[in-house]
Amino acid sequence: MNPVVRVRDLVKAYPSGNALDGVSFDLEANTIYGFLGRNGAGKSTTMSIITSQLFATSGTVRVFGEDPYENPRVLGRMCFVRENQKYPESMTAAHALRAASLFYPGWDHDVAEQLVADFRLPLKTKVKKLSRGQLSAVGVIIGLCSRAEITFFDEPYLGLDAVARQIFYDRLIADYAEHPRTILMSSHLIDEIAGLIERVLVIDGGRIIMDETVEEATSALTRATGPTAALDRLARGHRVLERRTMGSAGALVFHGIPSEAASETASHAGVRLESVGLQESIVHRTAAAATATGPELSPSSMEGALS
Amino acid sequence: MSQTARIANVIRLQFVNRHPFLWVPLLVFGLAVALSLIIYAMIPETGPKYGGAAQAPMWTFLFVGVSAMTLTFPFSQSVGLARWEFYLGSLAAAAVGAAAMASAFIVQGFIERATDGYGMNGYVAHLPWLWESGWWAAWLTFFVFTLMAFVLGFWSATVFKRWGMTVLVAVLGVLGVAIAGALLVVSRREAWGEVIAWFATAGSLQLTGWLALLTAVLAGLSYLTLRRAVP
Repeated sequence: MNPVVRVRDLVKAYPSGNALDGVSFDLEANTIYGFLGRNGAGKSTTMSIITSQLFATSGTVRVFGEDPYENPRVLGRMCFVRENQKYPESMTAAHALRAASLFYPGWDHDVAEQLVADFRLPLKTKVKKLSRGQLSAVGVIIGLCSRAEITFFDEPYLGLDAVARQIFYDRLIADYAEHPRTILMSSHLIDEIAGLIERVLVIDGGRIIMDETVEEATSALTRATGPTAALDRLARGHRVLERRTMGSAGALVFHGIPSEAASETASHAGVRLESVGLQESIVHRTAAAATATGPELSPSSMEGALS
Repeated sequence: MSQTARIANVIRLQFVNRHPFLWVPLLVFGLAVALSLIIYAMIPETGPKYGGAAQAPMWTFLFVGVSAMTLTFPFSQSVGLARWEFYLGSLAAAAVGAAAMASAFIVQGFIERATDGYGMNGYVAHLPWLWESGWWAAWLTFFVFTLMAFVLGFWSATVFKRWGMTVLVAVLGVLGVAIAGALLVVSRREAWGEVIAWFATAGSLQLTGWLALLTAVLAGLSYLTLRRAVP
């Protein structure tokens, strides 16, 4: 397939260090991506550079095969409402939606109206007086209704309650089914969006450490519980990421899937095998990437670091 | 969407809220006129009385320029506008606002002429020096001056966005020193008479030409600064 976005060797250097340190990836057309990583990993920086709001120190970005900088042909096909988006002074929520609709020929007024009602967004309130959740709702509505061919969502759920988040996810899926497009969504609520996204891009320390389908990501790790002796036999040849022991029994998380024969032997010895959820999988692998290059971090100390 | 339509939409984006471009300057103008009339009424002098209060609304465009840049620019970037599209559209929006203000000024001038200065020989808009080449020359002067105020505000905000407060203060400081230096030179050479004579003979039209040139230079600098500015 021909990627709609091609990012190569992106470096963003700041006096305090590199925010991006050689980021490369492709975004395929009509795919929903989860863009995951810890705070400060470089998610917003990457999205800002793709939309040419920010400038890279080195590296290249191609959108629909072209350089996006000062290029309306490709910029006009993208939409990126930042997590801390600024709006013109004294603009109301209604103004913001109307203003955004001017620039997207595919803007869906009906969906916008529906979402305003669903999110209970007060249209006549000035944007600067909106609550955090209402501000996120404005960004979510602009992102969804723009129908831009490439849409970026930067932690779109901030301040939204569980009901509102579910409305957003449902609407996104429904609209995507009718109008497929490329969506890159950064999020810390990994398991919450796991059913939504098709591929994950994980960035850590300014580098992409995972670029795979959700299925690949969740099947990459195995959790086994049972007698420690049987666990040790099962995990032989696999890279163990976590090991917990209580007396003669324990739990292991390791890379890869054991062979059918090995699984059967283990299950006879009383071992139970489970797949690992997306969030846990990413936490383990982010920690593994950190220990490979940096100081020792135990996966348990990383629990919740991504959420 | 055609390129022209996109730039026209930037004008509409700047006008989504009409307060800063139209109603606030008009309000300032109205208040300035009212204030001038009260003062004229207090002056027992029967000869013609002229005041410079009409320049007040021009200066509101300094702030319009600042907010067009600091607040509308980030939004423009979120909806996929190129910097140059935002720039041209914003300048066009300022021109529309400045034209509206200049027209209000001219209408006020005609009212003053028709009523002999509100019946008390007091003038805010119908100033002889501005109107000597005709109403259109007065319109042009007001228009160019208002646009210049906008561009000055816009450029200052762009410098601030791109390089921060220190550089902005330094740039404005250097400009201030340059102007003060020029005034010093004029004073030392005791050339104020010549300067005033130059202004008188040049007339408002020639001066407007120089202002337009200055505005164009500032506008060019604004674009060059905006090219690498980050929202």
